[in-house]
Amino acid sequence: MVRAMLTPEELQILSTSLGVAGRAVLFSLPVAIAFAWALSRPRFPGKSVIDTIAHLPLVLPPVLVGYLLLLGLGAQSPLGAWLKSAFGIQLAFTAEGAAIATAVMAFPLMVRAIRLSFEATDPGLFEAASVLRAGPWDRFWSMTLPLAWPGVLAGAVTAFAAGLGEFGAVITFASNVEGETQTLPLAINAALNTPGRDDVAFRLALISLTAAITGLVLAEMLQRWARRRLEA
Amino acid sequence: MTLKLREVVVRRGAFRLAADLEVAADGVTVVFGPSGSGKSSLLSAIAGLYRLEVGSIALNARVLEDAGAKVRVPTHERGIGLVFQDARLFPHLTVRGNLDYAEHRRPAARNAPIVMEIARRLEFEDLLDRPVRNLSGGERSRVALARAIVSAPELLLLDEPFAALDGRRRRDFLALLRELSNEQSLPMVVVTHNIDDAAELANDVIAMRDGRVIAYGAAADVMSRPAFASLLDRRDLGARVPAEAVAGGAVAGVWVRADSVLLASERPRGISARHVWEGRVDSIIREDARGVLVSLVTEAGYILSRITPQALADLQVEQGKQAWAVVKAHAL
Repeated sequence: MVRAMLTPEELQILSTSLGVAGRAVLFSLPVAIAFAWALSRPRFPGKSVIDTIAHLPLVLPPVLVGYLLLLGLGAQSPLGAWLKSAFGIQLAFTAEGAAIATAVMAFPLMVRAIRLSFEATDPGLFEAASVLRAGPWDRFWSMTLPLAWPGVLAGAVTAFAAGLGEFGAVITFASNVEGETQTLPLAINAALNTPGRDDVAFRLALISLTAAITGLVLAEMLQRWARRRLEA
Repeated sequence: MTLKLREVVVRRGAFRLAADLEVAADGVTVVFGPSGSGKSSLLSAIAGLYRLEVGSIALNARVLEDAGAKVRVPTHERGIGLVFQDARLFPHLTVRGNLDYAEHRRPAARNAPIVMEIARRLEFEDLLDRPVRNLSGGERSRVALARAIVSAPELLLLDEPFAALDGRRRRDFLALLRELSNEQSLPMVVVTHNIDDAAELANDVIAMRDGRVIAYGAAADVMSRPAFASLLDRRDLGARVPAEAVAGGAVAGVWVRADSVLLASERPRGISARHVWEGRVDSIIREDARGVLVSLVTEAGYILSRITPQALADLQVEQGKQAWAVVKAHAL
């Protein structure tokens, strides 16, 4: 059905967007879980540093995030050069680069959702698990994650929906390469800057809006399910 | 099994628990005291959920924690089970999932009843595949107990496990608890503030008040001490009668309230009461204008009866005189 409604160009842009946002979620999810878990712990030294790092992308201009990524991972940087020579991986101006930029920008959203989910679990349950001989790692896998996972999923979906719309960091770090890094917002921007392509921009905007709303509704449904699960 | 608490101090905010005792934890030991006396804190310290500020805890020869030597075996390695007052079933698992959680983590060397068997004994086989959020309070208590038993700990702590049970169910549950302790050779330490539960369950009693242990020993001994009586409400004052005296084998004893004991100066005849015990008046304590406590030493042990000052005068009750204590079966 989607295929019939969209032009090949639009399909290409949508699939680039989905691919970039999907990979972004994949890259940031394990790190976000680790950060969220740490932040849901009681006070420990370095907690405020972790908290700051987790929230930084929220307050930095997206262009600056893209620029910092260029400085850190671009072909001219030591790390970027090493990645290129050792593994043949180039991040700047590629879909992977776009995904990393998107991952960084969506990171705070994800950490927040997952952290809330971790914090909503009753600490008494972990005591109950430990008197049944479950050690800390065991409790993480058998209690923390399963209890929080609808929240984790909701965080991932929110981050995915937000990732579909990431503009500043992506265009700075990955540039606007058709079929590679040209996601929905980049394509809308390109269309708006090209005379006579207003209708293209409008259709892309509708697609973008639909995708975003679908993501949000899905995330809300997951959150509600998560709450119900923990109310036992 | 010996549980040694040496000069233990636990602090939680303004509350301070101090304990120094050696518990010969065989059968069922009841921790009794009013709420806020530190009963639950004592269990949490033994299980390792609360950290000792001072002192040490050892189970048999194994040191579990020693604040001075900075030794601390974490909760999950202590092999001590704990049934929480609020059951704490895992909400993301079914009833069976909760029991399996315990079974999978049980050391292979330890024997324990299989899941089906314990579910049958505690009468919830038909609930095994239910999510736990649909269970009633009483069902939760039973599943929580089953989960702890399946885990086969060396020592099982229970914090007011009968709070959600009532009447008949409660007494069955108490009897079953003693049975399981026996069969599994599983020593239990049970917290309660209910005097009936305490009398029915306890082989031994740890009496607590204001964060301190005020008495420890065999139930028959501790529960007859004046210090123990000071833990009770006026209407709960009474005496522990061993189960044999009332033909109730499944429990350890029965608490007979002074208010439910009639006193007779002659052997009563043609009476519906099932228990008539002959004895001698041991002491007479005038409480106030309305009540006098008369204690008798009878064949069933020590019995307390509350009568009015008027009745005391009419019956001419005196210390050392013969008297009969009369108790309805339904009062037990």
